[in-house]
Amino acid sequence: MSVTLPIPGFPGRILAVTLPAGPGGTPVTVGGQNALPLLREGEHPNAPAVGMEVPTGTMELPPALAAVIGPFAGDPAAMARKCAGDWGARFLFLSLAGCHPDGGGQSVPFGAAIVREVLSATPVPVIVGGCGDEEVDARLFPAVAEAAFRPVFLSYAEEKNHRLVAGAALAYGHGVVSWSPIDINMAKQMNLLLADLGFPPDRVLIDPLTGGLGYGMEYTFTIIERIRLAGLSGDAALARPVLCHLGDAWKAREATDASEGSWGDVDLRGRRWEEATGLACLAAGADLLVCRHPSNVARLSEAAWR
Amino acid sequence: MHEPMFTSCLRGAGTVIGLARMALEAAAYRRGKEAPLAYPDTAYELPVVFGLTDIRVSTLADAGKVLDLAETLVRSFASAENALDAGAATLLAADVIGAISHENGNPFMPPAMGFIPDSILRKLGIYLVDGSVPGVAVVIGKATDPAVAAAMVRQFQEIGLLVFIAGDVVAQLDAQGVKLGEDFKTFPLGPLPAVIHAVNFAVRAGLTFGGIGRGQGAAMLSYLANRVKAFVCALGPLDDVALAIAAGAMKAGLTVLSDQPVPEIPGKLLSRPAGGAMVQAGMEARGIKVKMVKVPIPIAFGPAFEGERIRKADTHIEFGGGRSVAYELVRSAPPEEVHDREIVVDGPDLRGLPKGSVLPLGIVVRVAGARMQHDFESVLERRIHRIVNYGEGTMHVAQRDTTWIRVSTEAVEKGFSLADLGLMLYAKLHADFENIVDKVSVSITTRLEDVEAGLAGARAAYAERDARARTLTDDAVSEFYSCTLCQSFAPNHVCIVSPERLGLCGAINWLDGKAGFEITPTGPNQPVQKGGVRDAVKGSFDGVNEFVRENSRNTVTEMNLYSIMESPMTSCGCFECVLAIIPEANGVMAVNREFTGQETPCGMGFSTLAGSVGGGVQTPGFMGVGKHYLLSKKFLGAEGGLPRVVWMPREMKEYLGPLLRERAAEIGMPDLVDQIADETVAVTPDALVEHLVKVGHPALKLPPLL
Repeated sequence: MSVTLPIPGFPGRILAVTLPAGPGGTPVTVGGQNALPLLREGEHPNAPAVGMEVPTGTMELPPALAAVIGPFAGDPAAMARKCAGDWGARFLFLSLAGCHPDGGGQSVPFGAAIVREVLSATPVPVIVGGCGDEEVDARLFPAVAEAAFRPVFLSYAEEKNHRLVAGAALAYGHGVVSWSPIDINMAKQMNLLLADLGFPPDRVLIDPLTGGLGYGMEYTFTIIERIRLAGLSGDAALARPVLCHLGDAWKAREATDASEGSWGDVDLRGRRWEEATGLACLAAGADLLVCRHPSNVARLSEAAWR
Repeated sequence: MHEPMFTSCLRGAGTVIGLARMALEAAAYRRGKEAPLAYPDTAYELPVVFGLTDIRVSTLADAGKVLDLAETLVRSFASAENALDAGAATLLAADVIGAISHENGNPFMPPAMGFIPDSILRKLGIYLVDGSVPGVAVVIGKATDPAVAAAMVRQFQEIGLLVFIAGDVVAQLDAQGVKLGEDFKTFPLGPLPAVIHAVNFAVRAGLTFGGIGRGQGAAMLSYLANRVKAFVCALGPLDDVALAIAAGAMKAGLTVLSDQPVPEIPGKLLSRPAGGAMVQAGMEARGIKVKMVKVPIPIAFGPAFEGERIRKADTHIEFGGGRSVAYELVRSAPPEEVHDREIVVDGPDLRGLPKGSVLPLGIVVRVAGARMQHDFESVLERRIHRIVNYGEGTMHVAQRDTTWIRVSTEAVEKGFSLADLGLMLYAKLHADFENIVDKVSVSITTRLEDVEAGLAGARAAYAERDARARTLTDDAVSEFYSCTLCQSFAPNHVCIVSPERLGLCGAINWLDGKAGFEITPTGPNQPVQKGGVRDAVKGSFDGVNEFVRENSRNTVTEMNLYSIMESPMTSCGCFECVLAIIPEANGVMAVNREFTGQETPCGMGFSTLAGSVGGGVQTPGFMGVGKHYLLSKKFLGAEGGLPRVVWMPREMKEYLGPLLRERAAEIGMPDLVDQIADETVAVTPDALVEHLVKVGHPALKLPPLL
C-alpha cells in the first residue's frame, strides 16, 4: 500500500536578491525559494550565504575572538582580505562602528575612506553598516554611498531614517537593509515605505533584529518564521530575504566570561554560542548570516544546505 | 481672458523651437550631422528628452527628431491644453539648445553654472528624498526691485530650499551680495533659457530617485507634480518665451507665480507681489512645510517628563481645575483663515505674577490642512494633554472646560511664558499630525471676560461634537478601523475598532483609527469595510471576517463584534479590563487592570485571568475590553447587554460612575448599578448568586448563557 504524503504548497515566492561583487568576485544571490527552509519540498534555488563582520574603531573583543580577529585591529582592509580568502566568507559586513563617538570617534571622511579601502581590497559583496549614532549616520550614509565605487548594501534603514538611507542608496545605485525591532508589522511597513519612495524591491533585505541565544533569540526565531510564512502566503512586502547579524550572541555572558571555570573552555563556548544562534536563524528561514568568528563560516555554511 | 496668454505660449514655443533649429543647423554645418551631442557629466543624455520621450539622443541628427516631435506638440488653437503641450515642446527644444551650447562645457560667465552635473544631483537629491530639503524654488526674469528679490532668495536659503536662478536676476542677486553656489544650495544657471537646467535637474531626480525609466512620460510628469515640490517665481514682465517656459513648468505640475497682473489659473499660475507673499503662496501651493527640529523654549520638552507631577508647593501659577474658568479647544478652519505659527497671547503672562496665582485661561488652536476633517478636532484636542505634560515644569489634567494646568516655579524662573506653551502646541501638533495638518495657530487668553466669552463658543463646539458622536454608530458607518499595533507581541491579534466599540486598550476609538490611517496610510490602523451584515445582533460582518482572517493569517476565521460566547474578538494583552462568564450566576463579571485583589467570583484575579485571555486567541466566555465598552449600546448584544454584568470591583464601578447609571437608566433598569456585586459583597460564585437572588438582578432571568 502506498501513502501519499500531504505536502503543502505556498502561493508566494521569496524575491531573489543579489549582492553584487566587484570585478573577479562572485556575487551572492539569495531568496527565490517557495518553501520553508531545510525541507525537501518546493524549490530552493539559492542556499543561505554566510558572511563575516569586519569591524572598525576601538574593539573590546571577548577571548574567543581576540585570538583570531585581534591581530587585525586597525586594518579593516587586511581583515577583509582574510575573511574573503582563507576564512571563506561569501560576503562582508563592514561595520563603521568606529565612527560612533563612543566607538573611536573616527570622522565621516575617514569612514568613507575605509569603505573605499575595503572595496579595493577584495571583490566580494559588501554590506556597509552605520555606526548607530543618529546624528553621525545622517552624514555617514550619504558619504559612504558616494565613496562606494561599486554597488553595496547600506545597513540599515529604519523608520526614522529610511528616507535618507534610501535616498543615498538610490543616488548611487546601492541596496538597503530594512531594519525593524523584532516587529513583523514594522518589517512590513518599512518595505511599504521603501516601495513608496520608489525603491526597487530587489535591492532590499530584511533585518528583523537578531537576539543572541538566551537573549531574545526565540523572539527573533518566531518573527523570522512569521515573516517567511507571510511572504510565502503571498504578502509581497514580506517576501524578501532575511539577514541575521549574529553579533548579539557575543553579548551573552555565557559566550564571553572567562572567570566561570565550571562553564568550560571560554573559546569553545563563544564559538558555540554564535553557532547555535546562527543555526536557529537558519532553521527559522534566514538567508544571510553575518558571523564574527571565522570557524563559524564553515560550520554554518555546511548547515545552510538549502 | 486667458486666451491671449495661451496664444503667447504657442508663439513662444514656436520661437524656441525655431532657435533650436537654427542652433542645430549651425552646429551640424560646423561639425557634421553625426557629431555627438551630450551634456557633460550625465548618464541621461538630454534629460528632458530621456524622461519624457523614447527618442535616444547621441548625435545632432537625433536632436533633429526631438525637434520634429516638439513641432507636432504645438497646435494652432489657443486652448489651455494646447498651451501646456506647447510648454512641453518648449522644454524639449530648450534641452536641445542647452546641450548644443555645452559643447565645450559651461558656456556662461561666472557665477552662472549652466548644466548641473549628476554628481551634484546625487548629493542634493538625497536631501530632497529625505525631506531635509523641503522643496525647490526657481527664480527667473528680472526683478523690479533687486533688494526684494535678494530678500526672497535669502528667505529660501533660510528655509533650506534648493534654489535655481535664471535670467537677469542672476546678476542682480550677485550684485546684492546674495551667497550663490553649491554650498548654499543656490544655483545661478545663466540667462533665461538656461532655466532648462532646473527642469533637467528635476527630471533627473525622477530618473535617479523615482525609479522611473526612459520614456515613461506619464510617470515622470506625475513624479514632478507630486514628489518634487517645486515652484517658479517669475519676476518682471513675461514675454512669449517666458510664458512658453512657464507653461512647460505648469505641464510638469509646478506652480508659477508672477509679480505681473497675469490671469490666474488656480494652483498653477498665481499673481503675487514679489517678496513674502510670493514665497508663502508658492510654498502653500506646493505643500512645502518647514519642520521645526527643536522647539525653542526655555524648558526641556519631551516624553521623559510626561509623568511629572507638580505639587502645590512647587506650583507658581495654575489655571482651571475648578479654581478658575479655563477651556481648550481645537478648531479646523479653511487654510486662508489660519496663519501658520501665529501665536497670540492676550492678557497677563506668567512673568511678574506672584507665586500661587490663579488665572483664567482660554486656549484656542486653529488648524488647517488639505486632509484635515472636523472629526479629527477631538483627536488633536486630546493630544493637548500629552503635549503640555511633555514640558519639564508644566502639568496638564483633564480636558475641554475641565482642563487644569500648573506651571512650576522653576519653569517660570527659567523664563517660561504662555507664548512658549503656544509654541509647544504648535510644534508638536505639526510633528504628530504631519499628514493632516498644514497650518497651526494658537491663541491664548488670560483675561476673564475674553475667557468667558470664548468658553460659551467652546461649549457650543463641544455640544456640536457630542451630537455628532451620538450619530456615529456602528449601524451608521460603512467602515470600521483595524488596529494591529499589538501584533508585535500578540502575532495574530486584530482589534476591530467601531464607533460603538473602542479598542480594548481604551486608547483608540473609531475617530483615532480614522485619523491614524490618514497620518500613516501604511500603519496599523486600516479601514475595514463592513460588507454584508450576517447577523446584526452578534455583530457579524462579511468584511470584518475577511479582514480578520487575512490579518490573523488564517488563524481567526470568524469574529463577532458583540459576543463573548460565540467567536469573540481576540485579546492582545493591553485590555483595560477582562470580562469572564460566571456560569452559576448566568452572567459575566468585569475586572479592571488596577484591581489587585486575587479573589473574584471566577476564582482568578486580574493578572491570572489576563494570562489566560491574551495572546491573540479566541477564548469563548472570556474577553479583554476597554472600560467604556460597557457603556455601549452594542455591549454584548448577543448575550443581552449590560444586564449580564453581575460583578465588578468597586473601584471600576466608581470610575464608570454616573455614566454607568445613565446607561442603566437608559435601558430601563435604574437600580442595576447597585445590584451589580463587588468585592465587598461576594468573592465566590455561591455568595454572588445569593446576593443576586436577594437584589433581584436581571441576569438571572436572561436566557441561559451555556
